[in-house]
Amino acid sequence: MRRLRSLPPRYWLVLVVVLFFVGLPTVVPSFQSSEWAQVLIFAIVIMGLNILVGFSGQISLGHGALMALGAYTSAILIHRYHMDYLVTIPIAGLLTGAVGFLLGIPALRLSALYLALATFALAVVTPSLIKRPADLTGGVRGILIAAPDPPQFAKDAFGAVTGGSAMTSDQWLYYVSLMIAILLFWFAWNLVRNRPGRAMRAIRDREVAAAASGINIAGYKTLAFGISAFYAGIAGALYGLTSGFVSPDSFPLALSFQLLVGTVIGGLASIAGPLIGGTFTFWLPIVSSQFVGSQPWIPTQIASTFKDAGPAVTYGALLILIMIFAPNGIAGLLASGYAYLRRRLLGAADRKSGHMPPDPQTV
Amino acid sequence: MAALLELEEVRAGYGQTSVLHGVSMSVEEGQIVSLLGANGAGKTTTLRSITGGVRWTGDIRYSGRSLKRLSTEDVVRCGIAHVPEGRGILTELTVDENLRLGSHLRKDGSDVRKDYDRVFEYFPVLRDRRRLSASTLSGGEQQMLAVARALLMRPRLMLLDEPSLGLAPIVVRAIFEIIRTINQADGVAIFLVEQNARLALEISSHAYVLEVGRVAVSGASSELMGKESVRRSYLGY
Amino acid sequence: MQEFIQLLVSGLANGGIFASLALALVLIYNAMGLVNFAQGEMAMFATFIAFTLIGRGFNYWIAFPLTLVIAFAGGVLIERVVIRPVERAPVLTLVIVTLGLATLVNGTAGFLFGYEPRVFPSPFSVRTVNIIGAFVSYRDLGVIATSAVVLVLIYVLLQRTTLGLTMRAAAHHPEASRLLGVRVSWMLALGWGLASAVGALSGIMVAPVLVLEPNLMQTIIIYAFAAAVLGGIESPLGAVVGGLIVGVTVNLAGAYIPFVGGDLQLAVALAIIVGVLVIKPNGLFGRASVRNV
Repeated sequence: MRRLRSLPPRYWLVLVVVLFFVGLPTVVPSFQSSEWAQVLIFAIVIMGLNILVGFSGQISLGHGALMALGAYTSAILIHRYHMDYLVTIPIAGLLTGAVGFLLGIPALRLSALYLALATFALAVVTPSLIKRPADLTGGVRGILIAAPDPPQFAKDAFGAVTGGSAMTSDQWLYYVSLMIAILLFWFAWNLVRNRPGRAMRAIRDREVAAAASGINIAGYKTLAFGISAFYAGIAGALYGLTSGFVSPDSFPLALSFQLLVGTVIGGLASIAGPLIGGTFTFWLPIVSSQFVGSQPWIPTQIASTFKDAGPAVTYGALLILIMIFAPNGIAGLLASGYAYLRRRLLGAADRKSGHMPPDPQTV
Repeated sequence: MAALLELEEVRAGYGQTSVLHGVSMSVEEGQIVSLLGANGAGKTTTLRSITGGVRWTGDIRYSGRSLKRLSTEDVVRCGIAHVPEGRGILTELTVDENLRLGSHLRKDGSDVRKDYDRVFEYFPVLRDRRRLSASTLSGGEQQMLAVARALLMRPRLMLLDEPSLGLAPIVVRAIFEIIRTINQADGVAIFLVEQNARLALEISSHAYVLEVGRVAVSGASSELMGKESVRRSYLGY
Repeated sequence: MQEFIQLLVSGLANGGIFASLALALVLIYNAMGLVNFAQGEMAMFATFIAFTLIGRGFNYWIAFPLTLVIAFAGGVLIERVVIRPVERAPVLTLVIVTLGLATLVNGTAGFLFGYEPRVFPSPFSVRTVNIIGAFVSYRDLGVIATSAVVLVLIYVLLQRTTLGLTMRAAAHHPEASRLLGVRVSWMLALGWGLASAVGALSGIMVAPVLVLEPNLMQTIIIYAFAAAVLGGIESPLGAVVGGLIVGVTVNLAGAYIPFVGGDLQLAVALAIIVGVLVIKPNGLFGRASVRNV
């Protein structure tokens, strides 16, 4: 009992969050499970992006393209080669990861800015590149993916918990995404806490000094690229499954941008960041377009253009403000706020908690 | 009558480290004052404080007016020219462009032209290399360019940080001659930081010796040169 | 042969457009070591302003320079309000801020001007003139001439005036410039203003060719990136030369390489960017700078 009570509050928080997500589909309508699945999918990409940007200090504006690679890999394997959809997920991840690793090699020669530029160009070109080999990718029309039927054991368990409701495909895919997200989160967390994480942070903060202490800069940087691509590939495959289709227009430049934004706003180099970022990335466009439309005092003409333009204006302004006032993102803000409260309320008792302050962002 | 430049109980440092622990000095109009001391004593920091390159407390007054909270550009625009350690040559630009940056704030066109003539008289090599990139100049030539450029600013006070550093003795002599001429002909006051104590004492009328961020000794240069104890302990010869 | 000349001339015209936007990128890169991802959107916004002025009855040749002035003021304003607070922040923060700015400007344009495509008037007729047997449009020639005039003016400003001198000094040597009385922070703002005006030129020149809508510049900026990278991101001359090369190359590739066709021309730009960054990252005119580790 003693050991349980001495666990830092962080562990309790994690447990609560996990329970919340596990229980979610049992209480909300099926389509909302699908939405939350997308939140988790974005969180997965952002976890990977976080490793690349927040921990190893390289910028990528092209992760939407990597998601596309994963999504199309999975879709083509299912559609053309009739593979089991679950098997295609890790394959998509590994393939994208390998591509990412290879991309990481020329990336070594580029300064942060050039890398941002190159990946930006990649993201812009990707929709056109996908449309070209039309017989493989389905061209402009894309590929439809049939919704998989949940396996019997899952249906039984779900039915037992919810008192008889039938589990839908959306809900099953939600749980698949959730389990993968938890697994990948655990993997990332371990990576960051141990030697690779420390090495990457050393590279990020003082590359020259890191090299002098014998850290294999090239190795870790390309590894970071590969891992983040792996995550993006898996997320891409899940994205295709939960949407039911893939098309070139599902992966525009805006997606890559939103992913980077989500990473930074969630909080770079923080553990909670990806989840916050994923939520933010998914919900902001919806909330901002619905919010204005639902306000009766705004004339309809303004409301309708704001619906198109609003998310962009809000995004842009919010991003700038956050960079100016809270460069460590929302997680950073929360952590600072939490630390501040602790100091005020607990004073000296704070010393024994072992609470780790958030990493300052110094990319 | 107030001195041209006055430092009063100035403390300054970088981040957590304090370098100056309360120094007080002054430079009179038209005077040459040297600031001596070992490496790390705080000589460069003193000059940097004057032109706002480092945070300081206490007071620094120029012509009776406090320089607190003024930006570097504004301090310089008051009539203080600072030739920093490393000379501050803009190597992306040509020699001529560097010189023009010296005179760009001045409104008196014909006097500027006269000053250019004088500068080229002192330093003919600069006229020869006018159109070339400043990066092609040797160390000594860059020092000449830095002094010439400072001259073109028509300052009342010139801060020189280690003008002899890394230069051949014959070049150093030439530069110090010109410094003396500038002071005598134009009445420009000079605050000179130097490691070469003997040269500095020969040219200046007054001197301060810094040790670990405090003024250890001060007085007329002739006196300091004469006192063997001072020379041995502080000036190394 | 005639087709070649036509492609060459229109390639040069496109190149002029790319060169202007690339020059804007280079100006800001020189001033701050930052690639302004919002440059294209700012140019688009200025083009809408020009459109509005012309719509209100202003003659094209008055609206055009007036827009450049407004764009200049806008650039200064953006630097003072958005960039100044993060001037000394790390690169990633600045990149995100410019990306945020791009989104913000795009959304604001959509909000103020709407998303329906508009036809932007051109003072040059679309008639063609016969040069050595090839039919070259007046519009292309007009674009080349106008771009050339503005670029030459910028050159004169930067290289032959005292203001240009202080701007260049502040960009390359901020600390040393301060010691010479240069108001470095304001020079930065002016740099943004100038870049914004040059970018606006690019938008106004390209709008008659494409349609005017908020996403107008999103492909142009990629070509401009390619031009800037090819020419050397620090070199204004490189931006111009790079722009012309990219313009001509993309045109010829689109016509003569079947794989590229019309829709993969953008990929050619990407290939140029990647190629240059892998083979010679400093571009044609950039100086080799020491890259640590």
